[in-house]
Amino acid sequence: MTASATPTDAAQPTEIDNASVRDASAITLRNLHKRFSGDAIALDGVDLEIRAGEFFTLLGPSGCGKTTLLRLLAGLEAPNEGSLTIGGKDVTETPPHLRSVNTVFQSYALFPHLSVHDNIAFGLRMKGIPAAERERRVQEIADFIKLGSLLERRVNQLSGGQRQRIALARALVCEPDVLLLDEPLSALDAGLRTQLQVELQRTQKRLGMTFVFVTHDQDEAMVMSDRIAVLDSGIIQQVGPPHEVYERPINAFVARFMGHVNLFDIQGIHDVTVTTALGELAMEAPLQPGKHGGVMLIRQEVIELGPTVSEGYNGLDGVVKERHYRGSRIEYRLEVNGQPLMATASNLGQRLYAVGDRIKVSIHPEDVVRIEA
Amino acid sequence: MKRGAFQRGLSLFWWLMLAFLYLPLAVIVFYSFNSANSAAYFAGFSLRWYERLLNNDQLLDALSNSLTLGIASSIIALIVGTLIGYGMYRHRSRKLGWLIVLIYLPIVMPDIVFGISDMAFFITLDREFGILGPSLMTMIIAHVTFQIPFVALIVYSRFVGLDPTLFEAAKDLYASPFQRARHFLLPTLKPSLIAAFFLSFTLSIDDFVISFFTAGPENATLPIYIWGAIRRGVSPEINAIATLMIGAVVIAAVFSLLFNRRGHAGS
Amino acid sequence: MNHTSESPYPLARHSHSMSPDTRHLLWSVAPGVAWIVIFLVLPSLYLIGVAFMTNGPYGQPQMPLSLDAFRQLAGFGFLGWSPGNLYTLLRSLWQTLVATGLVILVAYPLAYYISTCRDKLRPIMLLAVVVPSWTNQVIRAFGWMNLLSPGTPLADAAQALGLIGPNMGLYPSNFAVTLGLIYNFLPFMVLPLYAAFEKLDMALVEAARDLYASPVRAFWHAVFPQTLSGLLAGTVLVSIPAFGMYVIPELLGGGKAMMLGNLVANQFSGGSNWPLGAAGALIMLVATFGGLYAMRKVGKRLGGGEEVVI
Repeated sequence: MTASATPTDAAQPTEIDNASVRDASAITLRNLHKRFSGDAIALDGVDLEIRAGEFFTLLGPSGCGKTTLLRLLAGLEAPNEGSLTIGGKDVTETPPHLRSVNTVFQSYALFPHLSVHDNIAFGLRMKGIPAAERERRVQEIADFIKLGSLLERRVNQLSGGQRQRIALARALVCEPDVLLLDEPLSALDAGLRTQLQVELQRTQKRLGMTFVFVTHDQDEAMVMSDRIAVLDSGIIQQVGPPHEVYERPINAFVARFMGHVNLFDIQGIHDVTVTTALGELAMEAPLQPGKHGGVMLIRQEVIELGPTVSEGYNGLDGVVKERHYRGSRIEYRLEVNGQPLMATASNLGQRLYAVGDRIKVSIHPEDVVRIEA
Repeated sequence: MKRGAFQRGLSLFWWLMLAFLYLPLAVIVFYSFNSANSAAYFAGFSLRWYERLLNNDQLLDALSNSLTLGIASSIIALIVGTLIGYGMYRHRSRKLGWLIVLIYLPIVMPDIVFGISDMAFFITLDREFGILGPSLMTMIIAHVTFQIPFVALIVYSRFVGLDPTLFEAAKDLYASPFQRARHFLLPTLKPSLIAAFFLSFTLSIDDFVISFFTAGPENATLPIYIWGAIRRGVSPEINAIATLMIGAVVIAAVFSLLFNRRGHAGS
Repeated sequence: MNHTSESPYPLARHSHSMSPDTRHLLWSVAPGVAWIVIFLVLPSLYLIGVAFMTNGPYGQPQMPLSLDAFRQLAGFGFLGWSPGNLYTLLRSLWQTLVATGLVILVAYPLAYYISTCRDKLRPIMLLAVVVPSWTNQVIRAFGWMNLLSPGTPLADAAQALGLIGPNMGLYPSNFAVTLGLIYNFLPFMVLPLYAAFEKLDMALVEAARDLYASPVRAFWHAVFPQTLSGLLAGTVLVSIPAFGMYVIPELLGGGKAMMLGNLVANQFSGGSNWPLGAAGALIMLVATFGGLYAMRKVGKRLGGGEEVVI
């Protein structure tokens, strides 16, 4: 249970010591519905509070409605029902060009007929900011994002990473209340992606601006976000800080989406004993009254392997079926009672088990979690 | 080699066809410099027919009619056609079959039916209501009708080639509808608009049949003038003016070749 | 907070969200649509109407409605039956058929040859084929008048062969019209055929050379089917405008080589029989749209033929 010892308390808003946080940037969504022609339901009653100055991520598979939700925030789509408030002001009916919200698009959408400089200055120009101030702010953001030497280039001469930075600069320079990011890193290769994830997070913390980030990559979401909302079929499944969503997923969908594989249908619960295909396992506390059935989740990194069962743990007999060596950790595919069970051990220099080894599997009652199907 | 003989045969055929394609034009150019008033024998080099052109008021009138018609109709077609192209793009997700059919109508309609319909229509309007009698105006109207589809299709294909999120980015960056037209749509479309204008102008200058049937007696264009001169009996002056028009086409061809080359080198 | 409870308006608007959208569509396409409808569709409908009216004493159409014009087109006039108009109709069909067939025969090897030349040469060669068609069609016909008139080498040669009488030219004649049509429409066949040859899957041709050995059979089984779509597109681009051709038969044909376009035009100028001219125009329209429809059908059967036709 070491993984849950993150200091952030889920009940408290994320700590931001930056003074520039504006209350104007808090977002409230009430009962948002969006249907497209042909009866496709994109959003089916979304209620959500996004706090001022937080890095908030909408996470879900493609078609879950996360992009539609972002487009509603931007004003590029109108909801069929419900209301949307930004900074206490109802903007449900406000067209995009009158909202203090900017978007970093997945394709970046840089204007091909303009130079980098003019792309960045576009929003300020449309807002009627005087030329002198416009120049100052473009220079400032160019220094901030470190792309000073690119300003006079044409957009089609830039690499993917440079385009991403310019799209970000073009949005940030307008100093919006909320910045929306629609999978802005999905077109980049893995190395650059990791680097820009860190940069984006730093930028957000430094500016104290509210970021709403859309992605289908749960790792990316966990690395960057203060809080995550997991969506499926147009409904928000769970909202919370990364550790909470990861460690206490509310249902099997969220669990699977967060990367969990050890999910077993519950056949019966008696007091603190839960019966699944794996066998009978003890839980930490009895189930709340009125709840039954569901799915048992065991995170693969909490499973301990050894010659004996640890004191106070559930013990199971397993056979190693496959071993994947990943350097910092070792993944084992085990078979327990004819069921596959994945276990991940940190590489602390302990002995490696070989395929075919018979071992004892120890699971602490606290790590036997029941969730909704 | 059998294959070699086949290729050589094809090559010979190619040169023969090239001769077939250019002989009628070459003959015109050749006789335009003939000092004799004949298309049957060549008496010696002379520029007299070109000099005669400069003093031919009818011909200069026809030239000015052609230019006026070409420019006026192209400007109108550019505006109207661009709007259609934009509308087609913006609403491309809807069923626009009726619009597509309507737009292709002027292209597929046989020239002669197009010209005769308009002529009958305008003459009848003139007789019944005293409006739109055959004149430069009716020619402009008819030309705009066949130019609109080309402009609309050029503009539409330009839009289709754009990243659709650019439209959203412009909205997102605080551009009002007017600003979006001024700072995004127009600059992005500029090259296509220029191309569409020149195509419209070319189509107008080149048209004979539709102009012929919608023109008033005073509004002969260059092709109509040449047609009339041919019907009246060939004068070598026709060779001279035709040579100038062929020259214009050749210059256009060279430009298009250079332009394409540059385009390829650039990309 | 909740919009829907405050006022039903946003909900109502969104459920009929087509309406502002439709207004935008209409606003943008209306001028052009109106233009084409008023200045092309209405006049055509008017002309079709005229075809069913009676010819007045001064050539203007009159009531009552009748099929007189079509009867005249079939040859029944005041002076009994004469086949003149019918011949013109048949001649138009025949000329279209012959010219299209000959254009195919010439364009096919030409397009193939261009596609086998070096990459750098091909655009220049295509341009060389197309440039003559950029000159005005009156001038092009005039060029042929120069070439075919009496006393020119071509006319002299024809005389020597006994094809024409002494002191005659090769024009006006049906032959000159066919020649003019081929000249006029050759590029419209070469371009789509070239496009088909350029996309040709050479691996298939090689395989066919292996399988069939004979070049003729290899061509028939591997090459020809792949060029059908280009051939179809070319046939549309050539035959439909050829059927309605006016300038070439007028300049190169004379009275005995008249085509439907000339018959129609004459009724509106010299002949002054609007209903007869309109009936001819109606036949042309039917042929055009019937032809397009048929080609579309064939094109769809060929697969991917939709872009071919238009």
